Amino acid sequence: MNKLAKAMTETRELFTIAFLVVLFLGTGLVNPSFLSIDNILLCLNGSVIYILLAIGVSFVIIAGDIDVSVGATLGLTAAVCASMIRDGSSLFTASVTALTIGAAIGLVNGLGVTKLHIPAIIMTLGVNGVVRGSIYVYTEGKWVENLPAVFKSYGQITLAGFVNLFLLITVLIVAGIHLYLNRANKGKYFAAIGDNVGGATLIGIPVDRTRIIAFVLCGIFAALAGIVFASKVGFVTPTAGNGYEMKAIAACVLGGVSLTGGVGSVVGAMFGAVIMSSISRILVFLQFSSNWDNTITGILLIIIVVADALIQKFFKEKARRERLAARDLKIETVFKEAGGECKCE
Amino acid sequence: MRMSVINQIDWKKYLLRWEMALILILILEIIVFGSLNQRFLKVPVLLGSINDYISICIIALFGTIVMITGGIDISGGAIVGLTSMVLGLLWQDAGLNIWIAVVLCLITGILCGALNGFLVSYVGVQAMVVTLAGLFLYSGLAVVLSTLSVSSAYEGIGGFPKEFIQIAGGRLFGVVPNPFLIFLILVVIAYVLLHKSRYGRYVFLVGVNPNAASFSGINYKLVAMFTYVLSGLSASIAGVVLTSYLGSCRADLGNGLTMPVVTAVVLGGTAITGGRGSILGTALAAIVPS
Repeated sequence: MNKLAKAMTETRELFTIAFLVVLFLGTGLVNPSFLSIDNILLCLNGSVIYILLAIGVSFVIIAGDIDVSVGATLGLTAAVCASMIRDGSSLFTASVTALTIGAAIGLVNGLGVTKLHIPAIIMTLGVNGVVRGSIYVYTEGKWVENLPAVFKSYGQITLAGFVNLFLLITVLIVAGIHLYLNRANKGKYFAAIGDNVGGATLIGIPVDRTRIIAFVLCGIFAALAGIVFASKVGFVTPTAGNGYEMKAIAACVLGGVSLTGGVGSVVGAMFGAVIMSSISRILVFLQFSSNWDNTITGILLIIIVVADALIQKFFKEKARRERLAARDLKIETVFKEAGGECKCE
Repeated sequence: MRMSVINQIDWKKYLLRWEMALILILILEIIVFGSLNQRFLKVPVLLGSINDYISICIIALFGTIVMITGGIDISGGAIVGLTSMVLGLLWQDAGLNIWIAVVLCLITGILCGALNGFLVSYVGVQAMVVTLAGLFLYSGLAVVLSTLSVSSAYEGIGGFPKEFIQIAGGRLFGVVPNPFLIFLILVVIAYVLLHKSRYGRYVFLVGVNPNAASFSGINYKLVAMFTYVLSGLSASIAGVVLTSYLGSCRADLGNGLTMPVVTAVVLGGTAITGGRGSILGTALAAIVPS
């Protein structure tokens, strides 16, 4: 059973990757120009913001909570970072400020959830409202525009002629986190807590601290996404990032991160984000209108979670049958050794 | 046995206290804003301001019932947009009678809710995930429908008959706006359904302990599924009222309603883990911020 469960958790992101490959190849069959390296890189570049958000949220979800404040955090940090750079700050100062704000928002979320025992969705919902409101206060409802061309050009920097800088950094971050979560002792705390809070407490894992760290990391990644947003889009509206929280959660679910906690990986979340942000591009290449974007996302989500639920049910039932069969067998042998007759079915 | 009776009394007391607190906040709010601006105190203004928030109030009422079973429904806003588009398309492009279109809209809402409920209670997927998928699916469908119409998506479909505009525009005795009346009727229906009917007891039982509900012979899956149907229906009612109020239908009508609805339900004293909550609490909590 353990082996089976392990295989299931490990194949989850493989399933997502296979799905992504099938999706791309299928589109390629209809329209071969979709499979050109340039286009695939464009797909990946376009998903950087969602990848960053999804990584952050996946920490929180794996630890068994949920965070719906990342959209507002992205908006606020993007606005702050952009306006500081417009007013002459260096990229370093602006980024550090944005990241600090993100971390602070995450800390508030984490403290509220762990110390005040407010359900995570309520706490982050409230924080979402407060942060969204403070964007309007900070920007006075205006757009942050006229960013220096240098700042906007960061999004176009490519290494070795084709790999985008942001994309490269993001992939490196994902690889690092994946190693940390799977190889380091402390990295496994997140999944342990999400899987079984009581058990994690009993074996001495600092539950509250780890959950707070998850929220803080989520805030930091949302801030990172905010900086990338400001640089890539080139202007920041007060509604920037509206609804991104739902997309980030959807990306996690597409990537096999279970909302019950304890199951999933950042690699899965990354590929989930790539699938989600590529859908509109795929639709265009299939000569559909990109208006179908959300509909397809919704259908994909339903297919994936339903398939997942049915598969899990199947394995649970199978494991239960095996256990019962093994028990019957044991009773039978005991009876036979004692010279009696087996009466059990 | 005695323990459970005592618990129940405590629990009712707690609810009463919470609802009292909400009423106090409401009165305080009216006094404070009234003293800041005299015009705020006029009855038509007070009642009229609810028009802007009516859809949140309506969806939150039945969202409460969903949350009491331990689920959550975040697809309400998307259903509002979808029903609005369905209404416009059926009336303008299909040329149906406006009232037949309204009925078909309500059926759309029921179907959306039924899909949510089926996936949650019969397939066993988490409510949050299902309704998140529903949020994307229904809002996406609304956008797709809006491209089918001859009117452009930005303008929306307008020019509805006068009787239809009267749904939200009319006032009973020239004072009470119709949406407020609809809201009150729905409050009564929801209250009776949840607190005075057998179905309501089942809803609470499913929220407290689904296994116990199942062992005592209740078809708990059907009970849970039906809460989503109710929620979908209420969202479509909100969609119709909002369309009538604005006089045009747009695909993005319900965007941004999701979070306020959840907020109103939780503010009303409903436990997000299920098993506790009341209609009156939600009704008050939905009105307080507005």
